[in-house]
Amino acid sequence: MSEQTEDNAVPSTAIRLEKVFERFTVSQRWEHWVLLLSFVVLLLTGLPQKYRATSWSQQILATPDQVALVQTIHRIAAVVLILEVLYHLGKAIYRMAKRRLPDNIFVTWQDFRDAGQMVAYLLFLRKEKPVFGKYNFEEKVTYWFIFVGIGIMLVSGLILWFPEIIARVLPGGVIPAAKLAHSTEAIVAGIFVVIWHFYHVHFQRLNLSIFSGKINEKDMQSYHALEYERLTGDNTDESGGGQS
Amino acid sequence: MIKIRLRLSRPIWVAAALLASGFALVYSWHVRADQPAQETETYCLSCHNNPDLKTTLPSGEVLPLYISPEELEQSIHSPLGIECQACHTEIKTYPHPQNTYTTRRELSRSYYLSCKKCHSAIYEKAQDSMHAQVAADNPDAPVCTDCHGSHYVHDPNEPRAQISSTCATCHDQVYEQYKGSIHGSALIDEDNPDVPVCTDCHGVHNIHDPRTEQFRIETPELCANCHADAELMAKYGLPANVYDLYKLSWHGVDVSVYKSRWPTIWHDSAVCTDCHGVHDIRKTDDPQSHVNATNLLTTCQKCHPGTSQNWIGAWTGHHEISLERTPWLFYVEAFYSSFTPFVLWGAAIYVLLQILRAIIDRARRSLR
Repeated sequence: MSEQTEDNAVPSTAIRLEKVFERFTVSQRWEHWVLLLSFVVLLLTGLPQKYRATSWSQQILATPDQVALVQTIHRIAAVVLILEVLYHLGKAIYRMAKRRLPDNIFVTWQDFRDAGQMVAYLLFLRKEKPVFGKYNFEEKVTYWFIFVGIGIMLVSGLILWFPEIIARVLPGGVIPAAKLAHSTEAIVAGIFVVIWHFYHVHFQRLNLSIFSGKINEKDMQSYHALEYERLTGDNTDESGGGQS
Repeated sequence: MIKIRLRLSRPIWVAAALLASGFALVYSWHVRADQPAQETETYCLSCHNNPDLKTTLPSGEVLPLYISPEELEQSIHSPLGIECQACHTEIKTYPHPQNTYTTRRELSRSYYLSCKKCHSAIYEKAQDSMHAQVAADNPDAPVCTDCHGSHYVHDPNEPRAQISSTCATCHDQVYEQYKGSIHGSALIDEDNPDVPVCTDCHGVHNIHDPRTEQFRIETPELCANCHADAELMAKYGLPANVYDLYKLSWHGVDVSVYKSRWPTIWHDSAVCTDCHGVHDIRKTDDPQSHVNATNLLTTCQKCHPGTSQNWIGAWTGHHEISLERTPWLFYVEAFYSSFTPFVLWGAAIYVLLQILRAIIDRARRSLR
């Protein structure tokens, strides 16, 4: 937040060269759009089905035809999300085969150390904010939470979509279990995204790099100092919030 | 002489007057004010006490005209002073007016209207019934006297099994099923006071068509009248939470939505009777029960054709989640009951700390 103040201090007439870094590829940005839209549609069509006993749900699901329509929309969005997941995993496997899979999204021990240091910093037990690479541990938590969550939703959702076929292979007990998991995980994931992801990308600072694909130098230095260093060979650590 | 006797018997007159007014009081409880006291019974019985008295109707049917004075004496109306002419209003004396009925049924269907004179509320209620609806096309549709009797009317639920056997007069196939059911056998063999007889589920005078969507949608509540009654169920060692658990189930949620939103639209989600049976409900451990483990798949397949044996494992059977019965459900619930608070509180606290740290840093900078 300090860098915002510094930005404002620059006279408007001054020419300032701002370095911009590429953060996300076009395909990653598209993937985020598909994920975002399918997530919202799935949540909007899923919640009234979960809370069918409530009056607001019954306003939406006003007729049996409406119920069928909402279920159809939910399933279309689910198919879109499945295709997105297949694309995402397919790309990862392809890159793995070519030994070109970027490893910076995987969780390492450093992330646990970062998390510990970050909490210590937030509790004023540490003066300096830890420095992060391309993806800090908060972003990794977001990615892997949603990754696992989508896995649970897809598996349980498919069980609920084709229960009679599933029961030919799996024990019948998985069906009510899938219902519970699907409906609970949806709420947990929904609330988690609102608390965690929305705070980090909307309120802490408005971070639109997933839409533009770009990140400016300041943000790069403040939030991804190690990545900045790696790309520029410059080891000036300007992690903003840490200076007090 | 007379003077003396009158004077002597004055207390007797007073006593007699008191007694008479007392009788009149009791009498007026039972006989409506506009009903003149009947004194026709003795007069009528002077002929109708003959067991051989009968007539032949134009249809060729023989109409017995014998009335048993003893049975009449034990029926409900006669001792209350409601005598022959209360119903046989057109027959005032002998010789009787010319008979206009061609068949015995025609006679019954005309005479039962006399019941309405006193029992008008019940008559109106019965007009709403399935029986009254079909009466236009079906002369055999029951009228009051078919169930209650005409001359020898008694308390209809004494004994209680009497009700179901009355219905059995026409609904004999249903009665055969019911007799074998847990409800029917307890009623007939043990004179159980708690099990439902026909009228407990179908209603008494306003019996409705049980095949409609309205009746179907009300079924869970109908069963819940007894099966959600903890005290009653405890008496038989049955769980009283089956209704509550059903309402949480896939079927139950669907049914409750239809009930509250679209009670007139037919729905296919299972209600109690779809699985347990209707008149042939048996104990779940009875091998003949539709929901006994041996028959459960067949019962499920009525709506879920082509399902395999595994399918019955999907049915939690109105039981709370438990490790023994529903291990998959148990583990998923156990997982989320710790995962949910861990993740959400963790995220909330971490974000809150970030907000606090940002506010404090900002305040410090502005004070610097």
